[in-house]
Amino acid sequence: MSAYDVIVIGGGVIGTSCAYHLVKKGYKVALIEKGDIASGTSSHCDAAAMITDKMPGADAALGYASIQKFIRLSKELDYDFNFDQSGSLYVCETDQEVEVATGYVNALRAEGYRVKMVDPYEMSQIEPLLAKDLKGGFWSDECAGLNPFKLCYAFVEQVKGKGLDVFLHTKVTGVRLNEKHQVEGVDTDKGSFTTGRVINCGGVYAPEIGRLNGLNIPILPRKGVILLSEATGPVCHQKVQEFGYMVTKFANVECDRDPELLKYNVAFTLEPTEGDNVMLGSSRNFVGYNLNTEIEVINAIAKRGMRFFPILKNMSCVRAYAGVRPFVEDHLPIMSEVEEMPGYYICAGHEGDGISMSPVSGQLMTQLIAGEETELDMEPFRFSRIENRFLD
Amino acid sequence: MAEYIDDDVLVCRCEEITAGEIREAIRMGATDVTGVKRRTRAGMGLCQGRTCEALVQQILRQELKGEATPESIGFSTPRTPQRPVTFGTLGGDDL
Ligand SMILES: Cc1cc2nc3c(=O)[nH]c(=O)nc-3n(C[C@H](O)[C@H](O)[C@H](O)COP(=O)(O)OP(=O)(O)OC[C@H]3O[C@@H](n4cnc5c(N)ncnc54)[C@H](O)[C@@H]3O)c2cc1C
Repeated sequence: MSAYDVIVIGGGVIGTSCAYHLVKKGYKVALIEKGDIASGTSSHCDAAAMITDKMPGADAALGYASIQKFIRLSKELDYDFNFDQSGSLYVCETDQEVEVATGYVNALRAEGYRVKMVDPYEMSQIEPLLAKDLKGGFWSDECAGLNPFKLCYAFVEQVKGKGLDVFLHTKVTGVRLNEKHQVEGVDTDKGSFTTGRVINCGGVYAPEIGRLNGLNIPILPRKGVILLSEATGPVCHQKVQEFGYMVTKFANVECDRDPELLKYNVAFTLEPTEGDNVMLGSSRNFVGYNLNTEIEVINAIAKRGMRFFPILKNMSCVRAYAGVRPFVEDHLPIMSEVEEMPGYYICAGHEGDGISMSPVSGQLMTQLIAGEETELDMEPFRFSRIENRFLD
Repeated sequence: MAEYIDDDVLVCRCEEITAGEIREAIRMGATDVTGVKRRTRAGMGLCQGRTCEALVQQILRQELKGEATPESIGFSTPRTPQRPVTFGTLGGDDL
């Protein structure tokens, strides 16, 4: 039976970041993943690292801290994850959206982030192929794009064999506790491990893993569909999205929306990839774990895309795929020790921001485990904020 | 036994990926077609693996030897659309 300081469950962007940061701190770590690295949500997503899709406060602070870390990681990690701090543009379709957006931008600016309102002329300078009848928008040069699954490989490859052991195609079937409810080991379908600390980084499967120990981790799968274009040459130069995206993401951002869009909660997002494709998104629905790409949703996303980038009309789509975001009701991830089970940590529930927030999440979990002062206040992320956190 | 494909042979022509790059992905931990695809882009191009998939499977079989079965090596996940189609058609009402 092999012994580790920490066992990380789940090889998505959150688990691989935790593993990387823990090894850097000197811990002996095992990463256990039931499939391949990045076989879950972390390869079925977009990959913008942004401030301007976060709520002011703890949410934006996580986003900002992570971008600063990405800048460093892009030099520190040998495996290239295509980090590109190209900025991001939001566009507004109506005057009402411009008004709500202005309030949002002011709130971010008050916290010191570099973001500014732009008028239709400036927008056409930033993205010449954008539709000409839009009312305004906002732009931030702090936002960035990257390749999400390459980021996972980059975290793993840097420390594999140098403090990190990776067990792929290995499913965690139990976390063993002693009579004082302290973690003492992990069981898998391929054998058992000894450890005093485990981090549940299961994403949308964190609840399933938690249930093994009677925990009720309230994370729901929130599905999104993405359409990938052929390699086209430049269509856009950065992440471009409609302000309505914020309405689909946050219940407290309110603007009138076309009922047709509300049906599948569709909002336009467009992202260039390093392969010269564009990724057109997306939708946000609670429809369980299935990853089917329904033709009605594809239809609505394609239509919405052409509304903002008419040039898409004659471009080809080569594939449609879906992913499920690990959603928590209050839009903040759970990053915490379970107080009643010493040594059991959870780092999951990053919804549509897990890629963006991965570096700082791994860093914070490492600081928690090391008993150091954390870089950000962990209060908003505590598991104990969840009311019914134990199963009966 | 199928013959050995040299490292410098282009396996995925759309994305220009060689057999050597595919073997490197397998050394990194890829055990199936999807794992190779994410690590190398083989099969991510215009034809979506319709041309190279059989070769990728063959290299996986050869490199992983006894550890691999046709089931474990798998296929690339079949996705809509079956062939490239314009966004105009996808977003049109004539579906
Ligand atoms: C359409 C879409 C667009 C998105 N766009 C963005 C974006 O632009 N920017 C951004 O920051 N985020 C974005 N996201 C969100 C982001 O993808 C997720 O927040 C992130 O990938 C979650 O990572 P994770 O590591 O928590 O989960 P996952 O990547 O799902 O990792 C969890 C892993 O745990 C493994 N596992 C589960 N159970 C077990 C077990 N019992 N034993 C062992 N292993 C197990 C799974 O196999 C899986 O690999 C998007 C998501 C979607 C769906």
